[in-house]
Amino acid sequence: MSIFQQIGKITTIARNTFREAVRDRVLYNLIVFVLLIIAAAIFLGDLTDGYEARTIVDLGLGAMLLFGVFIAIFVGVSLVSKEIEKRTIYAVLSKPVGRGQFIVGRYLGLCLTLLINTAVMGAGVSAALMIVGGGGLEYKIWGAVALIYLELTIITGIAILFSSFSSPALSALLTFLVFIIGHFSASLRDFAANLGSGSAKAFFGFLYYFLPNLSNYSFITNAAHGDVPPAGYLATVALYTLVYASIVIGVAALIFSRRNFK
Amino acid sequence: MDRKTRQLILTLVFAAIGFAAVFALADRLELSRPPLPEGFEDQDLSLQGARLKGYSLGLEGLVADWYWMQSLQYIGGKILRNPQIKVSIDNLNPLNPRLLYPYLDNATSLDPRFTAPYYYGAVVLPAIDKRQAILIAEKGIANNPNEWRLYQHLGFIYWKLEEYEKAAEIYDRGSKIPGAPSFMQVMVARMKTEGGSRETARAIYRQMYDEAENTRTKELAELRLLELDSFDERDGLRKAIATFKETNGRCPKDWAELLPALRNIRLPRGLAFRVDRNNAILDPTNVPYVLNRESCDVTIDLEKSKLPS
Repeated sequence: MSIFQQIGKITTIARNTFREAVRDRVLYNLIVFVLLIIAAAIFLGDLTDGYEARTIVDLGLGAMLLFGVFIAIFVGVSLVSKEIEKRTIYAVLSKPVGRGQFIVGRYLGLCLTLLINTAVMGAGVSAALMIVGGGGLEYKIWGAVALIYLELTIITGIAILFSSFSSPALSALLTFLVFIIGHFSASLRDFAANLGSGSAKAFFGFLYYFLPNLSNYSFITNAAHGDVPPAGYLATVALYTLVYASIVIGVAALIFSRRNFK
Repeated sequence: MDRKTRQLILTLVFAAIGFAAVFALADRLELSRPPLPEGFEDQDLSLQGARLKGYSLGLEGLVADWYWMQSLQYIGGKILRNPQIKVSIDNLNPLNPRLLYPYLDNATSLDPRFTAPYYYGAVVLPAIDKRQAILIAEKGIANNPNEWRLYQHLGFIYWKLEEYEKAAEIYDRGSKIPGAPSFMQVMVARMKTEGGSRETARAIYRQMYDEAENTRTKELAELRLLELDSFDERDGLRKAIATFKETNGRCPKDWAELLPALRNIRLPRGLAFRVDRNNAILDPTNVPYVLNRESCDVTIDLEKSKLPS
């Protein structure tokens, strides 16, 4: 099978995953988000005493991250398990589609859903900032939006990894824990540095590199001050994401390919 | 009417009645809730911002905003809940507003570049605890050394403390920051020569009013400017009372009697006395001044006037 044929199959699965997400009304969260942003634009002026632009950035991008994480987790863990539960996996795998291709296609499909979700939310925040007079923040937030999206692609990969061998509930819980611990990575490193025991130091040092360092993606607070992540930093984070997500999806594909569906 | 429509109407009626009951019950519960121990609302449940920093999943700015909004509502909320307590903008301590500093400290620990809490703290905290006001302004300068406004606010606190030399030093440091207005250098000289004068106070509050980034600071500066105008007016009224007393050998019985004498009084900066239809002389917040016939002196109506003193 040529590489182009493989890409074609992955693209088909990704497209179907996206359609499925739209059919499952995943993008309905955008309505809630838009209502939240409109309410923020109207009421925050009084509540923040004139600092509504920065609060819209904090609130909008914070909501974008949390909504995205919940979609990544709950949709991500159901992508594989639903197919197994409904036994539709047999129909898919009976066709000339590899299990690895299935996992990669599923992953990319959800990433596409999240890309559209994040882009629409970003546009919503920009529009709200234009209404309240954001002073350029409406353009400057997009670096932080890109970092949020990259973080979501990591979370999606982890959700799919766990769901490839575990139940949906446990997978969701474990993914959420990784999201939380991922934001403490710097603390793990500091903790390791302060420990006396060599083995404990090595263990926590290993955890620091093994778990995704999600604090690298945190740029919301800076964005509220009009900071833009440097291009070099963005490129490095994108590369880190690509490498980390490839590892995670690779392992998920390996586990899934060895799984017995009988 | 078919069955489906009937069902819909019944459900809507039931929901309306249900919600009306819920509203009534909620109000009743609010009224009948057993009282909490005094000071419960001030239980320090807010976590320390510095510790919270690592636990906010990259949303430090949002949590800082929450603390900022809390701090803005805090004093106003206390005033609304304690209408029996008489407070002035010079002394908010009767309200026991001990959480204001922790709120502002948390907001600025979570987002050290968020300057609004520093400004607000520098303006409001002197009426609660001047040491805390200095702490928050110094923290702001440490985190944002290029923000000349923070030096202006710290200088303001030292000026309130009547430490004019220290205030001059702070204004001097601030004046050297690129972009600082010439006002900062003017204040250095003023603090050294006439720190305690009314004109210095006017210059400080005028600048604060013009530069204020939030409405609360602007309102406070405006009130102070009105208070300074009132001081000038009261000086003029006292002069007129003294002249009247000298001529008539007694204190005027009302403002109407004093009006002819007021025509000869000139107020600074072209200000003029304002008189209402009852011939009472109004303070800058449009409340009549009180003529105290016992002491033969003028005061503001502390109950009605918005002026702090």
